[in-house]
Amino acid sequence: MLKKHNILLVEDEVELAKSTLAYLTENGFLPFHAKNLKSARKLLKQESFTAVLLDLGLPDGDGMTLIKEIKNAKNEIGLIIVSAKDALGKKVQGLELGADDYLTKPFFFPELNARLKSVIRRLNLEANQEIVLNEITLFPEQMRTLIHGEELELTAKEFGLLLYFVSNQNRVISKTTLGEFMSSNYADYGFTDDVVYTHIKNLKKKLNSSNADDYIKNVYGVGYKFTVA
Amino acid sequence: MKLLTKTSLNFISASVLFFLVGSIAMYFSVRNIMAEDLQNRLLQQQNEFIYTAQQNKVTDLVSELVFVQTTENKQLYSFSDTVLIANEKYMLYRKLDFSYAKNEQDYKVSILLSQSESDKLIMKIVIMNVGFAMLFFMIMFFVNRHSIKSALGVFYSTIRKLEDFEVNQTTTLSLDTAEIEEVKKLNQVFEKMSAQIRQDFISQKEYTENVSHELQTPLAIISSKADELMQADNLSKEQMEQLALLMETTNRLSKINQALIFLTKIDNRFYTEVSTSAINDLIKEKLSLFDDAIKEKNLRLELDLLEITHVYMNPYLAETLIINLIKNGIVHNENGGLLRISLNNKTLSVANSGSVLSFDEKDIFKRFTRSNENKKSLGIGLSIVQRICDLYAFNIAYSYADEHQFKINFKK
Repeated sequence: MLKKHNILLVEDEVELAKSTLAYLTENGFLPFHAKNLKSARKLLKQESFTAVLLDLGLPDGDGMTLIKEIKNAKNEIGLIIVSAKDALGKKVQGLELGADDYLTKPFFFPELNARLKSVIRRLNLEANQEIVLNEITLFPEQMRTLIHGEELELTAKEFGLLLYFVSNQNRVISKTTLGEFMSSNYADYGFTDDVVYTHIKNLKKKLNSSNADDYIKNVYGVGYKFTVA
Repeated sequence: MKLLTKTSLNFISASVLFFLVGSIAMYFSVRNIMAEDLQNRLLQQQNEFIYTAQQNKVTDLVSELVFVQTTENKQLYSFSDTVLIANEKYMLYRKLDFSYAKNEQDYKVSILLSQSESDKLIMKIVIMNVGFAMLFFMIMFFVNRHSIKSALGVFYSTIRKLEDFEVNQTTTLSLDTAEIEEVKKLNQVFEKMSAQIRQDFISQKEYTENVSHELQTPLAIISSKADELMQADNLSKEQMEQLALLMETTNRLSKINQALIFLTKIDNRFYTEVSTSAINDLIKEKLSLFDDAIKEKNLRLELDLLEITHVYMNPYLAETLIINLIKNGIVHNENGGLLRISLNNKTLSVANSGSVLSFDEKDIFKRFTRSNENKKSLGIGLSIVQRICDLYAFNIAYSYADEHQFKINFKK
């Protein structure tokens, strides 16, 4: 990434904000924090943001009111609602108002990261559409993968998994986090571990047969790590 | 029985009873009065007889209704009823016998007075009485009925409005203003009560949402901190595993919390919006979510969804119902087992292979009931299924015969 993306985090819970800010910084973003609507409005005037992570229940009002303001000012600002309110109505309402995505608390950082990157990609059409990592080139829009310039056939799930790993390099990603990512929020428990294991095994096999490096490392008993030297 | 019918019946039976007793009493009292009158008239005629007999010959005084006989008895004096036959008709007469002495001769004088006149009178009075009373009662009955009906109009409208009352509607219960004190009071009580119920309902809903918010945020903090810690380079394998377990447990806690909140929302009738969904399409659509899981367990999938079955319910609940049933059939299946879903005669059947339940069959729909082998299962899925079925009065049944089978009847 040439230029660091400015991200505005609107979150009243200090501890959660701290972790999120640290995580975002670590992942090459330049995060700003607003504890309430008032300071969010102020920051929005001062800085130019690529994306906003918006909590809905704020001390001085409903975050919903901010969605229109942000989108009216500049449509290319990515907007992800991060809320504990898992109400279907809220989600629909938020997306109708112009939010680009909706994440329910508690969420996992890699998930947030992947969604944030995806939103930024979608909204900045002029920017590079391909993601290059050494011998791996990914085209998220077309779901195409090139290894050493050669086409690699991946299933939708495998491609999603690879993109997820590439978005979260050099991080231990727990089985729980991956399970949640893979299960598209429906299948809660009981078989996700096995499903995750199978998909990762297949992905590794395919990458291996294309002579890609063995990036996906198994962290025993914990999860996986996509290691890039 | 309706209030109006009840009061009308009371009125009628009471009127009939009193009218019957009154009529009988009146008949006898009128008869008494008539008899007394007849007696007085007979005594008057006796006086007239005695008066005229002083100037005239006794035998000259004999007439159609006055008979004179000679007698030895000097002490005659009695009233009696007697019947004369005139024109082949029996006629009832009242007779006064008395002795009369003139010129050393004692006579027995009998004076008769027809009772038919007074009988007719009595009849007329009774008929008139009955007629007027009937008319009176009828008028009273209709007036009474109408007045009760109009007086209770507000009461009936209150009943109708209470029947339509739903706690999750936004409009408040507004009842008509009544003239009658009791109905007015009743309406006031109802209005107050409905407002209280609605307020409780709203605060309960808020509470549910607050619990969700208040619990999910700390869980998000725990999970994010664990994730942060996990990234440290200097952790031992055991420490890493413990952190992974911490994340998994936190996630599980959050799932339980979400499921319980969802159950509460169903109970609170949160999902009121309804539409028609085709169950067969819904099953096909939702099954695709489980492709991986089915493949992973090498399950044989048998589908018999030829019958198009529409249900009228909340679309989100319909989705949840199907997802939970399918998920249950997969999670509690054995490797290489069978998953059979069929739709027949408005009945959905989901069957899966698997060993006999390790708990009582009765408890299968209870919260947190799960088999010993499946420690990762939350034990809430079937609870949610049952709650949704209850909400729409669908019959759900579980049976086991070599395979577990759940049957939902969408007929109401």
